[in-house]
Amino acid sequence: MKTYDAVIIGGGPAGLLGALTLGNHGVETLLLDENAEIGGQLVKQTHKFFGDHEHYASVRGFEIAKKLRTEVEKTQVKLSTSSTVIGIYPENTIAYVRNDQMEKVRYKKLLIATGAMEKQLPFINSDLPGVYGAGAIQTLMNQYGIFPGKRFLIVGSGNIGLILAYQLVQAGAEVRAIIEALGAIGGYEVHSNKVKRLGIPILLNHTVLKAIGDESVQGAVIARVDDKFNPVAGTEKELVVDTICISVGLMPLTELAEQAQCKISYIPELGGYVPLRDVRMRTTNPDVFVAGDLSSIEEATTAMIEGKIAALQITEDLEKIDLEEELNEELKTISLFRSGPKSFKIRAGLEKMGIKNSKIEVPKVTSFIKRIEDGKVRAVIECDEEIPCNSCESVCKFDAIKIGKNLNAKPVLDPSKCTGCSLCMLSCPGLAIFMESVDTVTHKGTLALPYEFLPLPKVEEKMWGMDRDGNYVCDVTVKKVIKSPNKTNIVHVEMQDEFVDMVRHIKFPQKESPFVCRCEEITVEEIEKVIDSGITDFEELKRMTRVTMGPCGGKNCRMITLGILSRKTGIPISELSHGTSRPPVKPVEFSIFLRRDEK
Amino acid sequence: MIKEASAVIIGGGIIGSSIAFNLLKMGMKDVSIFERSYISSGSTGRCGGGIRQQWSSPMNVRLAMRSVKLFENFKIDVGNDIEYYQGGYLLLAYTDSEADDFVKNVTMQKAQGLDVELLTPLMIKEKFPFLNIEGIKVGSWCQSDGHANPQIANIAYAIAIRKLGGDFNSHTEVKGIDVKNGEIIGVETDKGFVSTHTVIDTAGANSAKIGEMVDVKIPVYGERHQILITEPVNHFLDPLVINFNHNYYVRQTHHGSLIMGQGDKNPAPGEDLGNTIEFLEEMAAKMTKDFPLLKKVHIVRQWSGAYDMSPDAQPVIDEAHELSRFIYATGFSGHGFMLAPAVGEAVAEMVIHGKSMTMDISNLKIDRFREKVEKEHNVV
Repeated sequence: MKTYDAVIIGGGPAGLLGALTLGNHGVETLLLDENAEIGGQLVKQTHKFFGDHEHYASVRGFEIAKKLRTEVEKTQVKLSTSSTVIGIYPENTIAYVRNDQMEKVRYKKLLIATGAMEKQLPFINSDLPGVYGAGAIQTLMNQYGIFPGKRFLIVGSGNIGLILAYQLVQAGAEVRAIIEALGAIGGYEVHSNKVKRLGIPILLNHTVLKAIGDESVQGAVIARVDDKFNPVAGTEKELVVDTICISVGLMPLTELAEQAQCKISYIPELGGYVPLRDVRMRTTNPDVFVAGDLSSIEEATTAMIEGKIAALQITEDLEKIDLEEELNEELKTISLFRSGPKSFKIRAGLEKMGIKNSKIEVPKVTSFIKRIEDGKVRAVIECDEEIPCNSCESVCKFDAIKIGKNLNAKPVLDPSKCTGCSLCMLSCPGLAIFMESVDTVTHKGTLALPYEFLPLPKVEEKMWGMDRDGNYVCDVTVKKVIKSPNKTNIVHVEMQDEFVDMVRHIKFPQKESPFVCRCEEITVEEIEKVIDSGITDFEELKRMTRVTMGPCGGKNCRMITLGILSRKTGIPISELSHGTSRPPVKPVEFSIFLRRDEK
Repeated sequence: MIKEASAVIIGGGIIGSSIAFNLLKMGMKDVSIFERSYISSGSTGRCGGGIRQQWSSPMNVRLAMRSVKLFENFKIDVGNDIEYYQGGYLLLAYTDSEADDFVKNVTMQKAQGLDVELLTPLMIKEKFPFLNIEGIKVGSWCQSDGHANPQIANIAYAIAIRKLGGDFNSHTEVKGIDVKNGEIIGVETDKGFVSTHTVIDTAGANSAKIGEMVDVKIPVYGERHQILITEPVNHFLDPLVINFNHNYYVRQTHHGSLIMGQGDKNPAPGEDLGNTIEFLEEMAAKMTKDFPLLKKVHIVRQWSGAYDMSPDAQPVIDEAHELSRFIYATGFSGHGFMLAPAVGEAVAEMVIHGKSMTMDISNLKIDRFREKVEKEHNVV
């Protein structure tokens, strides 16, 4: 039986980085992965990654996998794909199956990076065909090009659920809703913004009660939940969907670690049962290391750093060389990654294990004036959450974006230095950067936005401009389409200047006219018809159509209506009457005016 | 805007619009109408939209009955769906004297040919089970009463006027009326001058001000009334309900919202179109008592409008004694919308023939105020 200095189980981001590091130091290594294609979850990730520019930020997951594999192949590391480990036995023996044949191998040091599996959610008929885990759908769709359904309900608003929703729309499917049992969206704000502007509603405090259908899913019953997660009677709603996608979190795959005599402990903050380990990824078995989602459910970037840390320590152990400097550098980087507010759970979980994360202050950055009105194109950054990412700062050649040492800080733009080169927009994994310019003379505004859908629009084509919630704002005209090798294409669109700050997505015009007023369900077409009949006064238009007269009092649709009117009449919005604001500003029940005993 | 007009109407609300429409229908050309703001910006666009025939004076009953006839044909005659709905009017009496009045009025109304009846509290409960009938003595019920959307009706008239070749000018304010040798020669507006010999003052609460321009005294003043609208709810309320005793009216629009209002205790002048929180408090208290199902319904918006009050709360329609060819149709005291089709017809006839033909409206002349003023009581 062959004995390797190091064996790695799992070829995802953690295992690959481990293999690369070991290979670079000349350690004799075997990497076992059960899939035909190496890369783990990376191979189905079509979105750009967040993170430090040195750690593959702004690169798409499947491309990271490709790059890493190529680099690992340059080393002496032996890659064994389609190899399913079936057990870890005494005397450091690993048994695995490859090509219908059981194989055995021994290790001196073992790195387990088996990742995680999706958590299940119990509900009625959850065994119907059409109920999938998010990962399964990504595998089918992104890896094999198979489309499991047409209309989706996604349960869970973590990054995976949000990313999947975006990818489904990219592939041409319809996502009816994302539901979330908690009172807040789980994933990054930039990810949720990306799906919101596609018009996908995210319903908080909601759960799925039941899948409807005999042979396969034909619908889903969802309901509101109270603060103890119990469904509230009477709030049930039926959605017509053919696929229910469960994305309620991940659970570390600890079996092999247990068999390798690593102590397992229940730490919910890290994802459930996890192997206990020290800061350098060594488990309670000194010859066994863990990395990636198996050690704590996190992002691919931290998995890669963990894989590297584990590999460096293994190298030190085996080769008796001093790698402390490099190790400390990686340890510093990973604690920097975890210093942001979104990582508070991970920090708490690690603390239970005795691993302290030194707190690194997020420095306050000077704020600049928001916009300079001189008609020049400049960036607008809508990244308002402290997440570990600095890709925009790294690519900016003009020093216009500041994040600073702690990559959890929010980016701040100095518009006086911004040249509108758009590199930051191309690199931003959250698609949270836009380019705007306003011409105060012609009242035309230009917006450049990242566009990751096919087909691309053509120059001079009319599109619908959609707002941050995916609602129609105004018609826009495509002025420029820039194809980018990283597949984040840039589309420049022109519109009335008032709407440059409102439009955040573009959509090909649909057959059915878009709603302007959602309270009263009034479409652009209905409004245009009344304008065409000679009603060109906003006040009269309002009264003929009921637009802006619903419960929201026109908060959502006044500007859009004025925009249509301005477009049809040629009168700038600033010169149109905009109506009167009447109390109450928010609808109130009659009962609020009654004394307590009268209610 | 045309330069010469055979008649100029000042005020583009429902009365002025109806007159212009009828003048054009009767063949008059070059009719100009001036509205200082947008169409339906004044009292018309702010009103409740009720259309009733149950009045306490025979004149009002007859005029309203004629209006209902015209409202029934509005869609064909004028054009546009104005959400006209003959869901009836239910008037409620709580005191003996109110009940006595109802009995008297119903007798009179029947004599005018109106299909109207008295309802006992039990009959009311049966018809409208959601209504709290506590304290009700009797109800007065007329099925052919109803309501419509006054804003659309006003704009519908404007569209029809323009189609008939009329010169409807919104956002145009009248600045003066030129008189030479005791004869009207033209009207000055902020957009220019139009020559004419005939002026019709339909400026509602502002009609007295227009009169002052040519030293014509019109005993009409503005009085603020408040009103509110709720979110739309499933249709449950066919009639417009008037409750003089509890001081409110309420109706459900075609769209499902409930529109309701009251007469304030000490009404503000018509120039003050502000809103008070007390109005919401008072409405909430009485509406949830009489209509308990409203408790959880949301109020979406409140606003106010001016009633053009006359001394007897009845319209004043006449040619000025002080100046010939200066005609006014005003003082509708909160029920101009419902009378507009008939008034428009009558005034147009007055302008063209010197007197109204279809209906005799001579009772509404200004001279009546020389005698004892008999006030219309059925006003909220």
